[in-house]
Amino acid sequence: MHISSSELGLAARVSRLTKTYGSGAGAVRALDDVAVGIRRGEFTAIMGASGSGKSTLMHIMAGLDAPTSGSVWIGDTDITGLGDRELTVLRRRRVGFVFQSFNLVPTLDVIGNITLPFDLDDRRPSAIERARIDMLVETLGLGSRLTHRPHELSGGQQQRVAIARALATAPDLLFADEPTGNLDSRTGREVLALLRAASREHGQSIAMVTHDPIAASHADRVIYLGDGRVVADHRGQSAEQIAAFMLAAEQGAVA
Amino acid sequence: MGASILVSAISTAFGVILISATGYIAALLRADPYIGDSGTLAFVLSFLTVLLVGVAVYVAGVVTANTFATVVAGRTRRIALLRLIGASARSQRTELARQGLIVGAIGALVGLVGATLVAIIGVGAADWALGLDVSFTPVEPMLVVPAVIVALTTWAAAWAGSRRVLTVTPLEALGGSVEAPYARAARRTGRNVTALALLVLGALLLGGGIAYGLVSPTGVIISFFGGVLSFTGLALGATLVMPPVLRLVGSVFGRSAMSRLAAQNALRYPERSSRMAIGVVMGVTLITMFAVAIASTKAVMTAAGGGSMPDELSRVLDTFSAVMMGLVAVSAVIAGVGLVNLLTLGVVQRRRELGLLRTLGVSNAQLRAMVLREAAHITIAATVTGLVLGIVYGWAGAQSLLGSVPIDPTRPPEPTFVLPAVPPIPVLVIVAATTVLTLVAAVVPTRLATRVAPIEALAEA
Repeated sequence: MHISSSELGLAARVSRLTKTYGSGAGAVRALDDVAVGIRRGEFTAIMGASGSGKSTLMHIMAGLDAPTSGSVWIGDTDITGLGDRELTVLRRRRVGFVFQSFNLVPTLDVIGNITLPFDLDDRRPSAIERARIDMLVETLGLGSRLTHRPHELSGGQQQRVAIARALATAPDLLFADEPTGNLDSRTGREVLALLRAASREHGQSIAMVTHDPIAASHADRVIYLGDGRVVADHRGQSAEQIAAFMLAAEQGAVA
Repeated sequence: MGASILVSAISTAFGVILISATGYIAALLRADPYIGDSGTLAFVLSFLTVLLVGVAVYVAGVVTANTFATVVAGRTRRIALLRLIGASARSQRTELARQGLIVGAIGALVGLVGATLVAIIGVGAADWALGLDVSFTPVEPMLVVPAVIVALTTWAAAWAGSRRVLTVTPLEALGGSVEAPYARAARRTGRNVTALALLVLGALLLGGGIAYGLVSPTGVIISFFGGVLSFTGLALGATLVMPPVLRLVGSVFGRSAMSRLAAQNALRYPERSSRMAIGVVMGVTLITMFAVAIASTKAVMTAAGGGSMPDELSRVLDTFSAVMMGLVAVSAVIAGVGLVNLLTLGVVQRRRELGLLRTLGVSNAQLRAMVLREAAHITIAATVTGLVLGIVYGWAGAQSLLGSVPIDPTRPPEPTFVLPAVPPIPVLVIVAATTVLTLVAAVVPTRLATRVAPIEALAEA
């Protein structure tokens, strides 16, 4: 019997996911039989050291890269068999992205960047979407910056614009890849608080890739990756617990 | 680099063939006992040769400078790494310029040898076709002149185009540096003042030539110098003139995000796009000018001749205009190579941005449309500018030459006002040619742009 992702309460999931780079003796297995689900309305952190496969997992889940084997669902859509055209539209309408840096199109102003996903669909935001954008602009404090170009904004403001754009389409899932990696710690905390608020208050599903225990401590749930496998899955972790776990995993790997 | 070899070969070959052709025509005239040694005609021919080759060499120089800017953009990481290890920016730039000299020399040599062979065959063919034996040997030391000029300008253009090497910091090898969204146009006050002075002086002379033309046909000589000066000013001040035109054309594209992106890209590196656009402007202006001048002349002659003009004269004028247009078209081919380069450079420098766009849901079709619009942006702006300038110059030439020709010989002489006649066929040919140019120029950059994989671009962060 087949159970759909939504019946399981999942925004996205992968099953038996394997990703191999290269071939023959030089082959590297970045992901090894991974099965994981991102729960709807939750803020999930995906943690792991460099090379643990966390970025590869995110890229495949977001339809940016194809798996070697296994299946990927966004909502109830199996995206494994989709072509470039369908994946592009899927990313445009159902996935939001916030990266570490270079999030914004430099030649578009702030409002142009925020409404870009609608523009690409050749349509104007509906009344509901318009209201959501206005709300986002206000909560993120971007009201006075709408006609500014990205290079006129600070790093923190740029991340806010990226968050506004990612949330504007109310995506099934928001992917954040080291969203605080380029920010000072205070601005970083603000950005994390905004992500958490989006999840708590508006039920936004978020998957955040990070190697920073403090960033991960803002999440409801922390999934640990090591050597291409899920090694642990915890809820409500503090930064100390996360750091201790990471350290133990690292020492265990050495021993 | 291939582009630089190609354009230096074309411009050298163009120079060599023009020199051979004018030499042959001069020899032909000398051999004709009725015409004999015509100093004026020889002067006009050699002047036209210098003008046309000059335009070709200028456009080729711009193309080469842009080619080297492309090379630098593609090699930024490598240059930064060498800087990190301890290479000086200057030595890096000297190395690139030396490559320019080598490339220019190869291209010039290819062009020289190829065109000399064509000239030898051509002279033989012309002798045979005319049934004459004009004792003319195309192989002469003069032919080396365009080759040397082209090699040297390629060297200089490589030097100019690799200026950005100086701004590559060792830190760029470590990644994470954010590129400025807009290159600031260098403030070249000296150049801009010169350009403006030439423009004003040229315009005054043009006006003076037109006024004097009302009493004497020699007004055209004053106008001619006015035209040369003002056009030089225009080429020199390309970065003053073209950006407003580009902005205007860009605003026609519409308000959608992809249109705005396409329209903004030409203005991102205003110097580069303006220089390239002016290359196309030159070709279009010269062709339009000849077409309008000759059509206007014919209109006046017809009116003065009571509704008809001698067939012979009409044929001579038509042949002359066709030959001139064909010759100018060579510069247009070179400008086409340059446009490919310009767009490619834009794509290479925007890899990350294109990756971001793909991630956010821009389809390959939308990307293709964007690159095509970028190409159209430059060619439309250049074509419109060239058509307007060509009509003005062509009319000014005809007016200052014919202002004193009475239309109605029976009436007391009064100044004639020549209406600019814009012949539709050359205009259509220009529009068709620039359309083809746009489509062809967009092929390579489009392929590059659609090959950018989103994660590849993100991984370069």
